[in-house]
Amino acid sequence: MSERRIGVFICHCGGNISDYVDVAAVRDAVKDEPDVVVAETTIFACADATQTDMVQAIKDQNLDGLVVASCSPKLHTFTFRGVAKRAGMNPYTYTQVNIREQDSWAHTDDPEGATRKAIRLVKAGIAKTRLSAPLSPLEVETTPRTLVIGGGIAGLRAAIGLADIGLGVYLIEKGPEVGGWVAKFGNMYPQGRQGRKLIEELVSEVARRPSIKVFTNAELQSKSGSFGNYKVEIRVGGTSSLGIALEVGSIVVATGFDTYEPEIGEYGYGIDGVVTLPKFKELVDHAAGPLSYHGRPVKTVAYVYCVGSRQPEGNAYCSRYCCAATVHASIEVANLDPQVHQYHLYRDMRTYGKYELMYTESRERGSVYMKYPEDTPPTVARNSAGQLTVTTHDTLTGGEELTIRADLVVLVTGMVARKNAPLVSILKLPLGSDGFFNEIHPKLRPVETVVDGVLIAGACQGPKNSSESVASGLAAVTQSAAILKKGVAELDPMVAQVDADKCTWCGLCEETCPYAAVDRTEVTGKTVAVVNPAVCKGCGGCAPVCPEDAIDLRGYTDAQIRAMIENLAEVPVL
Amino acid sequence: MDYDVLVVGAGIAGMESAIKLGDMGKKVLLVEKEGSVGGRVILLSKVFPTLDCASCITTPRMAASIHHDNITAQTYTDVQAIRRSPDGGFRVTVHRKARYVDEAACTGCQLCENACSVSVPDQFNYNLIARRAAYIPFPQAVPKKAVIEREGTSPCTDSCPAGIKAHGYVSLIRSGKYEEAFQLILEATPLVGTLGRACYAPCESECTRGDLEGTLPIRRLKRFVADRHYAEHDGPGIEAPAANGMSVAIVGSGPAGLTAAWQLARQGYRVKIFEADKEPGGFLRYALPTYRLPQDVVEQDIRNVTALGVEIATETPVRDPDALKLDGFDAVLLAMGTPLSTGMGVPGEELGGVMGGLDFLRDLRHGTLPDLGGKRVVIVGGGNVAMDAARTARRLGARETLVAYRRGREEMPAHKSEVDDAEAEGVAFQFLVAPVAVVGDAMGRVQGLRCQRMELGQPDASGRRRPQPVAGSEFVIPCDVVVAAIGMAPDTANLARLLTLEGRRVKVDAKTLQSEVPYIFAAGDVVMGPSDITQAVGQGRRAAHMIDRWLQGQEMSGFAALDDRLAVIDKAKVMARQTSFSHRDPVTLHLEHQQAPRDFQEIERTLSEEEALRGAGSCLDCGVCSECGQCVAACPPDAIHLEMHDQTYDVEVGAVVLATGFKLFDAALKTDYGFGRFPNVITATQMDRQLAPTRPFNTVLRPSDGRVPDRIAYVSCVGSRDKTMGNPLCSKICCMYTAKQNQLIMGALPLADVAVHYMDVRAAGKRYEEFYEQAKAMGANYIKGRVAKITEKDNGNLILRYEDIDNGGVITEAEYDLVVLAVGVQPSREAERLFPDETLTLDDFFFVGEADEDLSSGKTNLPGVFVAGAASGAKDIVDSILHAGSAVAQAAAHLEEAGAKKVTV
Repeated sequence: MSERRIGVFICHCGGNISDYVDVAAVRDAVKDEPDVVVAETTIFACADATQTDMVQAIKDQNLDGLVVASCSPKLHTFTFRGVAKRAGMNPYTYTQVNIREQDSWAHTDDPEGATRKAIRLVKAGIAKTRLSAPLSPLEVETTPRTLVIGGGIAGLRAAIGLADIGLGVYLIEKGPEVGGWVAKFGNMYPQGRQGRKLIEELVSEVARRPSIKVFTNAELQSKSGSFGNYKVEIRVGGTSSLGIALEVGSIVVATGFDTYEPEIGEYGYGIDGVVTLPKFKELVDHAAGPLSYHGRPVKTVAYVYCVGSRQPEGNAYCSRYCCAATVHASIEVANLDPQVHQYHLYRDMRTYGKYELMYTESRERGSVYMKYPEDTPPTVARNSAGQLTVTTHDTLTGGEELTIRADLVVLVTGMVARKNAPLVSILKLPLGSDGFFNEIHPKLRPVETVVDGVLIAGACQGPKNSSESVASGLAAVTQSAAILKKGVAELDPMVAQVDADKCTWCGLCEETCPYAAVDRTEVTGKTVAVVNPAVCKGCGGCAPVCPEDAIDLRGYTDAQIRAMIENLAEVPVL
Repeated sequence: MDYDVLVVGAGIAGMESAIKLGDMGKKVLLVEKEGSVGGRVILLSKVFPTLDCASCITTPRMAASIHHDNITAQTYTDVQAIRRSPDGGFRVTVHRKARYVDEAACTGCQLCENACSVSVPDQFNYNLIARRAAYIPFPQAVPKKAVIEREGTSPCTDSCPAGIKAHGYVSLIRSGKYEEAFQLILEATPLVGTLGRACYAPCESECTRGDLEGTLPIRRLKRFVADRHYAEHDGPGIEAPAANGMSVAIVGSGPAGLTAAWQLARQGYRVKIFEADKEPGGFLRYALPTYRLPQDVVEQDIRNVTALGVEIATETPVRDPDALKLDGFDAVLLAMGTPLSTGMGVPGEELGGVMGGLDFLRDLRHGTLPDLGGKRVVIVGGGNVAMDAARTARRLGARETLVAYRRGREEMPAHKSEVDDAEAEGVAFQFLVAPVAVVGDAMGRVQGLRCQRMELGQPDASGRRRPQPVAGSEFVIPCDVVVAAIGMAPDTANLARLLTLEGRRVKVDAKTLQSEVPYIFAAGDVVMGPSDITQAVGQGRRAAHMIDRWLQGQEMSGFAALDDRLAVIDKAKVMARQTSFSHRDPVTLHLEHQQAPRDFQEIERTLSEEEALRGAGSCLDCGVCSECGQCVAACPPDAIHLEMHDQTYDVEVGAVVLATGFKLFDAALKTDYGFGRFPNVITATQMDRQLAPTRPFNTVLRPSDGRVPDRIAYVSCVGSRDKTMGNPLCSKICCMYTAKQNQLIMGALPLADVAVHYMDVRAAGKRYEEFYEQAKAMGANYIKGRVAKITEKDNGNLILRYEDIDNGGVITEAEYDLVVLAVGVQPSREAERLFPDETLTLDDFFFVGEADEDLSSGKTNLPGVFVAGAASGAKDIVDSILHAGSAVAQAAAHLEEAGAKKVTV
């Protein structure tokens, strides 16, 4: 395109820009640039009223390029693409120039310099726009099915949720039965229902839904394809078994957790009568009356909190669920035997939110809570008389040293990430320093991962109790539906493309690509690289490494970047 | 079905719900009560544990929730009711509060904010600073559209019969905009100087401040701006508009006629006033003594009218209004007032020395009043004219001035201040006496007034007790002059052939003021009988408006009001809104009355600028917006329309997601901590604002003296885990925001010491513990133990008394510059009232209850109704996002199920 018709809008952003950048001077400096037919300043480019003016200008002046010089493209790329669309202009011939975060805000001490910089930035944007080509978003049809990995409470509830909004579900469980940890549990909080009953209920709900197909003894073998259309292979029935190929649009990973296993000697672990929280929970769940352990009545229980959690060496993280779980267990114990003595040696009692009520109830039912200092944790031993003792300092009573003779010592152990190396490598999921799967953003996108369409739910993302795991399972359902319910996914067309004539297939691009978007293919008898546009993220990493200059990034072509650099560097000083 | 899902509340949970549902292809109505989406998250500084900038991560969501193809977002809107409809969905009553701003036209330029004359606590800065009544919620607001906050019309403005925006000019004076205040009054009437003196100020009787220390001097503030204006201008200071080619004749130049002329002239009408007397002004000129209303003030006010080209023909009585029509006037307004004095109807009235009250005052002005030096004067009557006549008689040297009134003091129609002033000037009163005859001498001169005593019987039509004569009680008051100020009447005998009269009053439609002859309108006392200046002004204004409508061919009925006033605000609401009052001494004026006044000098003086500012500064801004109109004038695209109305309409939806959020604990309830009493005790939300990118002070300051604090203490669990405050729950977010703020403070104030007085540190969540450790590593000093009491030193510093558990539990005191209360989360109580026909179950602490927390987080007891986020209990951002996801999955399943049912049917 030799003749372009470009409109340039330069924003005051209230005073955010115009207090430091002379926007009128910027306009005057660019209004006579070649192909610029409209150059205006505006108080707020993003205001609805201004958008309406822009639409009018595009139509009236028959513009085929738009430059908006305002704030970060993170904020308003979609705003101004929308303007272009409404005006009937190709949205990809619009360029956002950031003269706020990258100029006015950064140079509040130098208005003249900021103005000179703005002129260069806008000229660069015009140069890029001049070379822009109309693009269309890639539309891919999506597969309305989801693979759920893991048949614990989060996975089961997610499967039901997916089926209930009209998506097909394959649920694979590594073990012989679904149900996970919760299937083993008796009474649970917050509602006092039994874990095994909850699982029974979910299993029967799953059975009622023909759109859920459950595979037990099943594991993921491979994954290929891209977001919206993954091809996965599962192996069912152990090593000697058959592989099944499935097509799904999204994958929900709900592989759960393991519990911390103390070292022998850690808080007396290994001594008869020293048990972990899960073992204790099992004991309580199976007790019909007053507790006994190895045939001995349990009249005194001592709980040592934060075993394996909040440690300077080892697991630094807080395991979140253990305080409330232990407090709940102590109430269960009191229900079994009101005469039992219970001592809780804790660091900070983290019965957050409504769980605080259980903490209160536990104290009212006779549990004694003692805060131990971080630097002198309790010690557990069996004394010469064969009695199990716990020695601690109680900061709440002036730090005095106390020794408790206990029948049972419960080490309140937390959750640890389940080791699952093959799955991690198949799904290319990133792990955090704590070993749990990492979400894309811990605040706003807790179930999404960097791999589009692969979601994480439940305690595989981080320690959670049962109801929190269920909520995150349902949040993963929502995210799957948000991707798949429309039936088509729009993908950004700003992806890499290979000029087959120039390509000599050296493989450098394939090595560079972090998303495995580059493949090799044969074109008229020649091996060349090809980019899968559905997988490519448009990061541009491949373009500079290509020795033949055969790769261009659509929307950011080499010619465009070069033109921008020339304008940024060569504008005469004001 | 209009929408698949209604989402109530556009905080983080509501936005997440709406966006995800929209992405699924569901049509969503997102309703937000504030002027912007974003909830509380957008107000935060940063978020834990990532320390991402809250605005940076929230604004794209805010934009998405407004611009999403499948989402209709309505801000400044309430949901009033949600009722189940027969088809399984819901009928939702939506109430769009008038924003008084055309959203499409508003560019978010903030010029209205700058022009606004009212400041109110800024809820988006947690009352740390003020915002204007015209405001954009915050810099990143989406939509970035202004709101004019109007709770109602203020009582002062509402009570003004003349339609003057009293609150408006008070707020302008407070802002130092004296000329703007004058111009605002001019919008109602040209008689600014007159009303600044002679008005009885019903506004002051209604002033809410009057229920506290005393009313604002609203009338004298008007005089203040009038005096300032006239000191510099001769005339109104505005130009006459282009003529519209039509003309109106006005008969009478009193307050009604002058006001109507002014209003019509401002519309471009050619106006001519016909005045029977020698000089224009009517009552203002002839009835009001100059010690109350100096003549030059009346003349200045009249020059406002003539400056716009209005012609006043004096000594030109109009006998035949229809002749004016023939002369080419398009309409005629009769505003002749009540120039006739009513007689006593007793023998001897014809004697020399007996005169009507109005005639007495008029003769004074004409210079034809007989000498009263040394005379004994009896004034009969208890109205304002009687008081004016009595005080005038005192000034003319009357030896004795006695007011004889047939009822008691309490029943006198005269304004109380007039009676008091008359008494202060030596006027004597005799109550419960009525004239029987005037007694004359042989020369036909008055010798005395024969009266009889009265007693009060049953109330009459006016509600006042009817006086009845006491038999045999007659006596004579010796006197030389009798002034019968007992009544006035219109002079309308010649109109009878043309118009229907009621008594002597002209009969018109009460609302349109139009007579049976369409081109003839009437206004003022000729319609109402004797009233007062403001009522006459109000009628003149109404008449002008109606004449304009009639001449422009518009409907004469079916419109609500003459202007954009709202219903009056309830004073109880105004009082309830105040969290504290500072005592303001009222601006009063002590008049020095002379027992024997000798001159007609004006008694009252004008307010000094200091008094005016102090007086106006006591305004409570009852209606919030003062209707001063500055925003309307300032708005470049004319986007502000104060005549907008709230709208209420119904929509059908398939499912409901309640994301009504939470309330913060009111720290003032924890009286031991002194919030609200000690300025340097602030809440953590206020501290968060001080640390935000859009922070109000650009640094962290303590409120008492604006000093940067060196020693800062946090107090945890304020209003949480505290049965004495009725909340045994943990609020979950406070420990973490405290750890966040500690880190930000140490970044902003590297030399400050930060201590945290805590019970337990609840850093339960992914990377939360590490974040807490980071705060400690940066230097935050965590002290285990609850704070018992906070006291304030003279220098504003604060002493915390607490148990230092880590050091043996000794009771210790520590001094800080600033104390931050980590306030907790309370239920917003906004969801349950939405369901008039069924009961939304709440939990024991009034959060929205969840029917099955184990397996279906976000499900309520009502089928098709889901709850997302902190409406169901304290949640941080990520918890809210997950909870919203859970609610949305079930809402979508509900729609799927409902859809399937419909297909099978």
